[in-house]
Amino acid sequence: MIVRLLALLVALFLTAPAAAQLAAQPRHIAIELVAESDTPAPGSEVTLALASKPDPGWHGYWKNPGDAGIETTLNWTLPAGLTAGALEYPVPHRLVIGGLMNYVYEGPFAQFVRLKLPTGLAPGTKLPIAVKADYLVCTNEICVPETAQLSTMLTVGDGAIRPERRAQFDAWRTAMPKPLGSPAVFQVENGRTRIAVPWPADQTAPDPYFFPLTDGAVAYAAPQSVGRDGDRLVIDTQAGGKTPGEIAGVLALGDGRGFAVRAAPGTVAPVRPEAAFSWATALAAFGGAILGGLILNVMPCVFPILSLKALSLARAGGGERGARAEALAYSAGVILVCLALGGAILALRAGGASVGWAFQLQDPRVILVLLLLVTGIALNLAGLFELSAPGAINRLAAGGKGGAFLTGALAAFVATPCTGPFMGAALGAALILPTAAALAVFAGLGLGLALPFLAIGFVPALRRRLPKPGPWMATLRRVLSVPMFLTSLALGWVLWRQAGGQGLVVGALAVLLMAFALLAVGTRQRKGAPVPWGLSIPLLAISLGAALLLRPEAVRPAADYGQPFSEARLAALRQANKPVFAYFTADWCVTCKVNEKVAIETDTVADAFEKGGVEVLVGDWTDGDPALGRFIEAHNRAGVPLYLWYAPGAAQPRVLPQVLTPAMLADLPAKAGIGS
Amino acid sequence: MKAMMLGLAVAALTAPGIAQQTTGAAAGNFRLTDMAGRNVALSDYKGKTVVLEWHNPGCPFVRKHYDSGNMQRTQAAATAGGAVWLTINSGAPGKQGNMTPAEAQAQFAKDGSKATRYLLDPRGVVGKGYGAKTTPHLYIIDPAGKLVYQGGIDDKPTANAGDIAGARNHVTAALAEMKAGEPVSVAESRPYGCSVKYPES
Repeated sequence: MIVRLLALLVALFLTAPAAAQLAAQPRHIAIELVAESDTPAPGSEVTLALASKPDPGWHGYWKNPGDAGIETTLNWTLPAGLTAGALEYPVPHRLVIGGLMNYVYEGPFAQFVRLKLPTGLAPGTKLPIAVKADYLVCTNEICVPETAQLSTMLTVGDGAIRPERRAQFDAWRTAMPKPLGSPAVFQVENGRTRIAVPWPADQTAPDPYFFPLTDGAVAYAAPQSVGRDGDRLVIDTQAGGKTPGEIAGVLALGDGRGFAVRAAPGTVAPVRPEAAFSWATALAAFGGAILGGLILNVMPCVFPILSLKALSLARAGGGERGARAEALAYSAGVILVCLALGGAILALRAGGASVGWAFQLQDPRVILVLLLLVTGIALNLAGLFELSAPGAINRLAAGGKGGAFLTGALAAFVATPCTGPFMGAALGAALILPTAAALAVFAGLGLGLALPFLAIGFVPALRRRLPKPGPWMATLRRVLSVPMFLTSLALGWVLWRQAGGQGLVVGALAVLLMAFALLAVGTRQRKGAPVPWGLSIPLLAISLGAALLLRPEAVRPAADYGQPFSEARLAALRQANKPVFAYFTADWCVTCKVNEKVAIETDTVADAFEKGGVEVLVGDWTDGDPALGRFIEAHNRAGVPLYLWYAPGAAQPRVLPQVLTPAMLADLPAKAGIGS
Repeated sequence: MKAMMLGLAVAALTAPGIAQQTTGAAAGNFRLTDMAGRNVALSDYKGKTVVLEWHNPGCPFVRKHYDSGNMQRTQAAATAGGAVWLTINSGAPGKQGNMTPAEAQAQFAKDGSKATRYLLDPRGVVGKGYGAKTTPHLYIIDPAGKLVYQGGIDDKPTANAGDIAGARNHVTAALAEMKAGEPVSVAESRPYGCSVKYPES
């Protein structure tokens, strides 16, 4: 009782000047100093909140106040050994008055300070905490600098937090910016500042705005345009006149989320087509695309088609003009399909959809159609039937040009899955280039793919070098059917991965139906009888129609062998002496997603974890869950990704690096002496 | 003819939005009416060092420097050294700090201002042309017409007059460096204070 009375007296004494000032002029922001725990433990950190309520029509300021205003300064009076951290601000709002940008809080807000207690404080020790806060509060018309003397009394204890206090702090915590797991990059060029913030391509980013903390990096009142470039959001705005060594700030989204950003100098290409770009880059990408296209010709998925066409050209024998025309038609087919695919990607990119090259192969229906096509070609090469197709195709093919065009289109379409390893760089460049230049790159890819054929068509010497048609061609055809069958096998595997076992069964049935239809055609062809199109066409139609039955499988959960993280679950598993791998991720964290794809969700790791009996706990911090946030902070990480390995019986978890490899994870159980 | 050219210069400054004068480049010319009704143009002071001070008598940060006498001391020292001090008020009619010429004269006398001229910019044209954001916000133009300093009056961004003693007065320091023929060591700083009360456009 006496202690409490003393504490009250101390508090009164400390707040006396403020009280005097209060009497003189009423304050426009009411501030209360609240501790999350009134009884913090020695050696721990306790979060203090400056819970502020501006009067209606008044606003307080963010750390960077914008064009005018000042940040809050704090002057602490703390017991010996205690240290106060920096003032942490929640995500602010924008307020433009008379053309000047203000970064403000117009409603209630809370700023945090973390107070560090020394170890060795005796329980029950009273800790009087006092702080003088100087801040600015304004209306749209006038500004008033205010001073608040705030104090609270803490008692060294067990760190217990009252539930209602915790709920209050958790609500405040959601307004604090979350650290993004990956570094950002900025570039100042021609009076523009561009900041590329890592942001997964499949995540929406409603109404983004970048609040700069670094002064002079951007012009505050200038409009910001935000574009998307794969896994990056690119903020483009007027530069502020200085080129800083680093740009810090907060990326705020319209849905109330905010992310702390630190950007290092680098290269950020403009995302919008009208922005300037380097012709050198575009030319290099174009050259790379041609080279890549050239290489594609020897890929197993393209080579058979190409050889088929080359053979038909050789078979056609004579006509210089005919050869040229066919070569041109083939090239046109290739280039047009490349352009169409490229245009589709660019259009989808512009719409913010998450697509990449070979995106058309992400849909099982497309895969099934391709599977049927490739299998059909393979069966044709194997000699099951002859391609004397009826109707329009036949007539087109008869002239050679139409057939050549279609062959080229097909070659380009099936070549896309092969582009990855060779084309990565050129395509990456294409996707950040202005639309016209990007399309040129896609055209270059097609040109490269068509180049050998053009050469054969236009250089008679080359054509003469091609072996004379003869029985050997039939043999070569059979041989070439092998890589084609392998391609259909690969497509079948893709189908299985995308549409599951059911999808595979549907696919196999469709292939079987088609094979029957083609077999019927081939058998009659060999007998010289008329082709039974009346039977075959319905069969082919049904097998193609099977594609409609397929649905892309629902997106699989982050880890199908993990379970949601909770501290209770973790404690229970550790109690049971189980090894636990706990990881913390968020949909907006690019590093997290990459780690999941390349390391955590691999079969190697799954096997190793299963053998070792490792329990996997997944903490999803996408919505900034405060409970998870506290747990992450307790492990000295400001945010995700965080990877923790609890070996059985170990007192402390091992904090794994932020960049994982499958081997690193797979080794964990063995190193802990389990599972082997 | 001269008046016409000045008019053009003012027109050039009326570009919408808030522009910014570039440190090290020629400062944009302007013409305003002072509190006595006289026309004052920046070009009138060619060959002299000119200090521009943005002012709002109701702003606590301005009060910090006037009520403590710091601004007047800075003004006196500058003009004693041969510089011209132009105090500019860009407060829009109906907003805090906007004054009629008569009110401005009364305020000027009450504060004991040592400025050479007190200029009224109620449309905010010159303020926006210079990118003046706060009161106070200070600019120094050298005798050749080049902008050599823009920013705050000192390096202690508070409203507490007690902080003046320990602060580096950027204006005094810059003028001393110019006098000694040295380059201005702090050519830009972050201005602090209330926002300039421009008209809503």
